[in-house]
This record gives sequence, structure tokens and C-alpha cells, in this order.
Amino acid sequence: MLGKLLKHEWKAVWKVPTLLIGILMLIAVLSGLTFALPIWDSEWIGLPLSGIMMFVMFYLAMFAVGIGIMIYFAVRYYKNMYTDEGYLTHTLPVSARQLLLNKVITMSAWNLIGGAAVVVSVIIFGGVTFLSLMAKDSTFARGFVEEIAQLPRVMRAIWNEPYLRGINGFCASVVFLLLTSSFSGTMMIIGAVNLGQMVRKHRILGAVGAYFVINFCYADALYRYYHAADAGADKQCL
Amino acid sequence: MNELVQINNLTKIYEKEKLALDHMNLTIPRGRIIGLLGPNGSGKTTLIKLISGLLVATEGEVLVNGSRPGPETKAAVSYLPERTYFQGGMQVKELIAYFTDFYKDFRPERAKQMLANLNIDENARLKTLSKGTKEKVQLIMVMSRDAQLYILDEPIAGVDPAARDYILKTIISNYNENATVLISTHLISDIEKILDEVVFIRNGRVILQDTVENIRERRGKSVDSYFREVFAC
Repeated sequence: MLGKLLKHEWKAVWKVPTLLIGILMLIAVLSGLTFALPIWDSEWIGLPLSGIMMFVMFYLAMFAVGIGIMIYFAVRYYKNMYTDEGYLTHTLPVSARQLLLNKVITMSAWNLIGGAAVVVSVIIFGGVTFLSLMAKDSTFARGFVEEIAQLPRVMRAIWNEPYLRGINGFCASVVFLLLTSSFSGTMMIIGAVNLGQMVRKHRILGAVGAYFVINFCYADALYRYYHAADAGADKQCL
Repeated sequence: MNELVQINNLTKIYEKEKLALDHMNLTIPRGRIIGLLGPNGSGKTTLIKLISGLLVATEGEVLVNGSRPGPETKAAVSYLPERTYFQGGMQVKELIAYFTDFYKDFRPERAKQMLANLNIDENARLKTLSKGTKEKVQLIMVMSRDAQLYILDEPIAGVDPAARDYILKTIISNYNENATVLISTHLISDIEKILDEVVFIRNGRVILQDTVENIRERRGKSVDSYFREVFAC
């Protein structure tokens, strides 16, 4: 039954996040293309300003995709579980565990896809920007390739600095955190919506409040963990 | 085993100590159309939600086919709530696919036939339909199952008299004879003609369970008149 739940859930939700990701990709391409336009040399401030506005929009869109996906799934979870739609959800011949697992898997997958889409949009922006600059100035490409060739040497030099000892572990934990945050983000939303139901007359407000409280506790725990790890690294150096 | 639902000492207390069901005992047999009747706040919907597995009892137990409410009993119970509960963005045909996937006893051809009889377009999205049509679609979905127990909470409250006749006809013609239909309603005179049995509930307790025939013969009254007498304010 979990497979059937996942099939119908996926079918019901794919359109909205895909639309959000599509808009992000479009903004990434348009932002990169602005480098091909002759607006940067214009004497009228309005033209370069419009280019800058495009970058700002791209920057905001990267956050908006993540937040948009999160809000969409939080609202859907609330409606499916706690409003009239729950009459259908909770009378299906499936266990409560399967219902919850279905939501967790779908939401985590879309959180991950949303995060990956942001990375891809940056790559697209970089690629389109490179092509746009190359179209304007062919010598740019040669210079760029030369700079890129230096990158491994520079990175190695930075990596071997004494004050960056232990950075490998830190980097690994950041990557791990990014991968698991799609799951932990989902659990925070589900937890917040569920806790919000305890505030009988203001369930949605309760859920929003619970989300901020959970987030604060999570951020505080992370801060304490890294602070303790940092202190440990300092001791080792001494 | 002729009893389909067994309710033993069932109590439900909501928050603020509101007692909805008070140590209720009830046996629902197979193969009957039963009216669950009582004034507002008597506990009808609470009882229905407990049988459907939507609520958890404070005390006592509900057994459907000898099992406590769970995935197994939900597969045997076809429940029509008093509210419109399908997602508005869904098309009617998507709803048919959904029910076909989840309920082994769902008969899509029966649903399609009933939709065609009522000129309801399978491609229509639910949010584009009128409230009455949505209620008809819900009833069609629920009655297109070969369930063992149909629970209909106010199935005719929001529709016009012509639609009421169609709904009652649908209930009679679609339930199989080993199944039981439990109907909760205030519109007793409209459904009286299809009922085999009635259960009167007051303050979360069963005060009467009898056949319609007995009520008519022994009391010399229709169920509607007898209900008005018992629950007179």
C-alpha cells in the first residue's frame, strides 16, 4: 500500500514544485544573458540597474524555491491530515505508519530536488554568463581557462594552511548536514504542524509558532555542537 | 457470526470533559438497513467516527468483524461523511482511479454507470461542481464499493428532493444483501421507507433498537412520529 500512496502523492504534488523550479531556471538563464546585452556601458543608470535587479531577483529566487516548496508541502500536509480531506486520508485501508512514511519520503525527496535545483541553477547561471561574456569578447575565454587552470594549485595551498587543519572533517560534516537537512527539514515541518494542532483555536498560528521554536532549538543545538568541536580543535592545536 | 459490529461499553470524552458517548452497548447485525437516529449532539457522528477508525475511544471497544478499527476494518467499511471531503483539484476520473487502487472492493464500471446516469462528466474537476453534485459524486464513490458496512452520515441533507429519491434508490440498489447500511439523519420521513431497523440515541446512550415493523405494529405509529414523541422538547 505504501507504493500506491507514494504513486498518488507524487502525481498530486509534482506540478507546483516543478513550476517553481522552472521559474528559477528561467531567471538563472535570463540573469546570465544580461552579460550579453550592451546595458553595462550605458550612461543612463537605469539600464545597468535593471541588470543588477535581475541578479537580485535570481538571488531571491534561490531562497524562494526552498521556502515555496516548504510552505506548499506544509499546507498540503495540514490539509490532508487535519481538515475535511482527512476523512479520506484516515479511512484508507493503510496504517498510520504508512501514511506518515508516505509524507516523509515525498517531502524529503522534493526538498532534496529543490536543493539540487538551486545548485543546478547556479551552474546554469555560470554557464550562460560565460557564454554571454565570450560572445562579447573572445579573449575572455582564453583568460578564463588560464585562471581556472590555476585553481587546483591555489586550493592546495589554502588547504595546507595550519589554521585550516581539521577542515576536511568540517567539510564532510557540512556535506552530510546538507544531505540530511532535506529529511530533518521535513521532520521539522511535520512536527510543527502536528504540535500546532494542540493550540485548538489557532492551529495554523500554533504550527507557525512551533516551527520557529523547533528551528531555534535546532540552531542552538548546532551552534553548541560546533562551538564544542571548535574548542576541541583549539586544544589539539595548543 | 451474524453480528457485523459489536460495541461494548463504549465511552468517548472530548476535551473539557464533554461526554459524547456514555458506556454504550450496541450490536449491528449483517444484511440490514439501519437508521441511526437522535437529536443534535446525541453522539451519532462520534459513534460513526469511532466505527470508521477516525477517533479513538476513551473507554470500551468497537469491533468490526471481530477486529478493532485499523487497516483491515477500513477495507470493509465504506464511509460517507457529512462534509465534502475530496480534494477540489481532482478530476472525477482521477477519483475513480484512486478508489480502484486503494479499495479492492471498488467497482469502477458501477461508478461510471452511475455518473453517466446523472450526466456527471468524468473529466470535470470537483471544484467546478455544485455542492449537490459533489455530494452525489461522494455517494457514488462510497456506494460503488462492495463493502460489508456502509456508513452514511446525513447522506440526503444537502440535496434537493429529486436527488434524495435518486440517492435512496442508489442505496437500495447498490448494497449487497449481506452488507449493512447504517444511515444517520434527521430527515426520518424521507428514509423511513427503506429502513429495516432503527437505533435511537440520546446523550450518548442507546435508548431503543427495534425493527421498523415492530414500531409500526406495536406503537401504531410511523418511525418519524415515534421519534417526535420520544424526543419531544
